[in-house]
Amino acid sequence: MSLIAHKVHKTLGEPPTKVLTDINFEIKDGEFVALTGRSGSGKSTLLYLLSSLDTPTQGYIEIDKHNVSQMTKLEVCKFRNEQMGFVFQFHYLIAELSALENVLMPAKKAGLADKKKNYAQDLLKQFGLADKPHRLPRQLSGGEQQRVAIARALVMQPKYLFADEPTGSLDSHNSEVVMNIIREANQNLGTTVIMVTHDVGFAKQARRQIHLVDGKVVSS
Amino acid sequence: MTFLAVKYLLARRRQTVLMLLGIFFGTAAYVAISGFMLGFREYLVEQLINNNAHIHIQAREEFLTNHSLDHSFYKKAYDYIFWSTPPSGRKDSAIVENPQLWYERLRNDPRVVAYSPQLTTSVIFSKGKATVPATLIGCDPLQQTKVTTIGEYITQGKFSDLAVGGNRVILGDELMNRLGARVSENIFLSLANSAPIPFKVVGIYKTGNKLADASAYGAIGDVQRVSKSSNKVNEIAVKLVDHSQASAIASTWAKLGLEKVQSWDQVNANIFEIFKIQDAVRFLSIGAIMVVAAFGIYNVLNMTVMQKKKDVAILHSMGYSTKDIVSLFFTQGIILGFTGVILGLSFGYVFCLYLQTIPFGGGPTAVGTGYLMVSFNPAIYVQAAGLAFLAATIASVLPAYAAGKLTPIEIIRSGAE
Ligand SMILES: Nc1ncnc2c1ncn2[C@@H]1O[C@H](COP(=O)(O)OP(=O)(O)O)[C@@H](O)[C@H]1O
Ligand SMILES: [Mg+2]
Repeated sequence: MSLIAHKVHKTLGEPPTKVLTDINFEIKDGEFVALTGRSGSGKSTLLYLLSSLDTPTQGYIEIDKHNVSQMTKLEVCKFRNEQMGFVFQFHYLIAELSALENVLMPAKKAGLADKKKNYAQDLLKQFGLADKPHRLPRQLSGGEQQRVAIARALVMQPKYLFADEPTGSLDSHNSEVVMNIIREANQNLGTTVIMVTHDVGFAKQARRQIHLVDGKVVSS
Repeated sequence: MTFLAVKYLLARRRQTVLMLLGIFFGTAAYVAISGFMLGFREYLVEQLINNNAHIHIQAREEFLTNHSLDHSFYKKAYDYIFWSTPPSGRKDSAIVENPQLWYERLRNDPRVVAYSPQLTTSVIFSKGKATVPATLIGCDPLQQTKVTTIGEYITQGKFSDLAVGGNRVILGDELMNRLGARVSENIFLSLANSAPIPFKVVGIYKTGNKLADASAYGAIGDVQRVSKSSNKVNEIAVKLVDHSQASAIASTWAKLGLEKVQSWDQVNANIFEIFKIQDAVRFLSIGAIMVVAAFGIYNVLNMTVMQKKKDVAILHSMGYSTKDIVSLFFTQGIILGFTGVILGLSFGYVFCLYLQTIPFGGGPTAVGTGYLMVSFNPAIYVQAAGLAFLAATIASVLPAYAAGKLTPIEIIRSGAE
């Protein structure tokens, strides 16, 4: 089982500009991959394509032997819900929900909110938020918010974790904490991690780097 | 998505309350206004049904048309006749022809409870120097009380006292006052060109309707004798088992003879026309409130969708479907509608209970119960709820649909910049 990009091209905007050109690679289960490259090189665009949020202009993405563009909407939703976790540069927590409720949102969709409650609390505890499960996002610091977002991404114990510059808005200490969490998920849970970063240090922590220049893979 | 919808609503309390108020007011106003309007109307209709005969069989009424005399004059000699002065006028009859036939028919009809032949005539009452023209209704006193509720409005004497015969009358309260007469006094009654005949006042009735209270009742035999038309009848009043069948039965009877047959609701058709106009006004005014309420919900929900774009994107990334997103916003409208309706109906109901305690009308002997009459017909509550729900639903459909069309990728891309 693996995640494959097959002759993927992506054109965006008006007038159409080529953002990604002929991307081909395979990411095997359990890998920790860093997508690197300068700002504007197409890292985020590629991550969204790999994670089913966006569709390629040409070529296709294959996840666990399924061509994503041939899956029904329902299958994609189920796949995202059960197999994928997302972490973005900005945490995107739901402001009206407490930390714990936010973490449980994916479980709610799967009808597992009760079953997952203990696990969600465990995650918050592991991430140093044991005493804050009932706080609203605005009552948490930026680093804490991002940790809640990671807990939310991991609560379904997904096979894939997609992260778009997860440390981009954090100070160095909080960045360190977040990176440790992500690395542990990869090591302890076997989660396949695909992470966009332009931090050279963090990129080196990944076992594999896919480096983009102007929308082309130059090394992988 | 109800859980999150509720959270959203609670987080923006002021807007939620404002949206609720619109639905609440619309619902409460509908219940209160309808309760008040229909309460009076139900009373009125009840009076119409109970106090009067369900069906009136009256002397023939016929108007001449341009061609109604063609046949009489020319038989079939010509296909079409031009009159230099077309015939006009009436070909009425003052009496019901062959009433025996009707009695026979009515007696054998299981739908008929009772019938009462009447002879109504215009007379001049006088007592001392007071002379008052009025209508004298000759009836069979025992049958008349079965067909109408006149017996219940007797304030002095008994309606059945008329049955004894020998020139007795029961006066309406209004007529009594104008004549200055009292029970057991004699008054005089004269027709167009005959000498006054003494009648004894044996009772008084008061219905509260001044027009009806300006008439008098007598035994039909007396009235026939006085007007020198023995055995003649100009109306037969009929009471049915089921008043709601009146107009259908009246229509079939009308085809049986030349007499004019009308049901209680056909006689009072103008009142029902007014009811229709009242209903239109009621629906329009409540409709206006509902439109305002719906606009409020529409605006706030639309704004919420714009503000919650990021939530929509993140929910999509967690595997929530378009359907879930639509329901997240639609549910908010439904919750508002539901809560507003419950509050509105409750308040409307309590307000109606209060209205019932307001004194109105002239007490037990005049029209009504002495208090405002309010209807608690369940249909009012169902309609109010239906209208409010419709408003809330329509108002939330568009924003919910707009939310469903949001694609996560664009939101995430713009959020990352
Ligand atoms: N909606 C869009 N329309 C046109 N061009 C876009 C759009 N989104 C991104 N781009 C362009 O695509 C390129 C890659 O963007 P992105 O994937 O966000 O790069 P990165 O994440 O590596 O900084 C950039 O040059 C950007 O200007
Ligand atoms: Mg980027």
